[in-house]
Amino acid sequence: MSDDAEVLQRIRAGATDEFAELVSRHQSRVFAILHHYERDVQRVEDLAQETFLKAWRALEQFDSRAPFEHWISRIAVRTALDHLRREKKHKNEIGLPELGEDALDWLRSDDEKSELDSRSAAEILELAMQELSPADRVVITMQEIEGRSVKEIAAATGVSGIAVRVRAVRARAKLKRALEKLVKT
Amino acid sequence: MNEKKLKQLFESARREQPPVPPADFAADVLRAVRQVQPAKLKEQFPNFDQLNSWFPRIALAAAAVIALCVAADYGLTAAGLPELGDGTAQASSQFVFNAENF
Repeated sequence: MSDDAEVLQRIRAGATDEFAELVSRHQSRVFAILHHYERDVQRVEDLAQETFLKAWRALEQFDSRAPFEHWISRIAVRTALDHLRREKKHKNEIGLPELGEDALDWLRSDDEKSELDSRSAAEILELAMQELSPADRVVITMQEIEGRSVKEIAAATGVSGIAVRVRAVRARAKLKRALEKLVKT
Repeated sequence: MNEKKLKQLFESARREQPPVPPADFAADVLRAVRQVQPAKLKEQFPNFDQLNSWFPRIALAAAAVIALCVAADYGLTAAGLPELGDGTAQASSQFVFNAENF
């Protein structure tokens, strides 16, 4: 199987249908990134399509020496950031998602050994992160959930490493406060 | 919310499975791509190409500004008014390089 650079070369030579091959190779990664910022599956699909369309439009600017996966991941993160900013503007029109019983029990429990399933954890974080700015949310999600390094976050968001560190500390503190507020309600 | 509980929250969220892309997702993207190409793809110029394409117009505008200044200078001299350079020299000697002001 040829690598991404070869597929890109064929696309640039006019074989536009080969773009489907690139999409197939990287779609899972793009869906995984976007799912951290949007829980509705249909909307994740729309955002994934937006990501690949942006990539297509900017394909001539892509430097083939860098891995395509990194580039498309950066576009996905920026698409997610735009999406969060749009959502923030219409925040009042969107009802807060309700937490399930398991999530509520875990939040209110003082027992540190109590189990929490992944779905409930994602629900809690989704709700608490609504208190964060879109940029703060992207930084904390990339650092804590995707396990990305400061350097990777800086490259994806286009800010300096120091700015990422400062934002991460601030976002974490804000998130803690938002979670404490959830426990009290 | 203590640090341990926060870590547990992140760890649990990390285990959540992302949605699987539909089987025809790549085909859908390709359909969408066909609607924006090929014009869009050809429109993408590197920055230097774009500057290159603007160059004749920028050069022409710069030449026009220079010609206008020279013409204004000649015009003012012919009319017996001080030249543009005279005003600048006067301002320099009176204010900018006037040692008495220090």
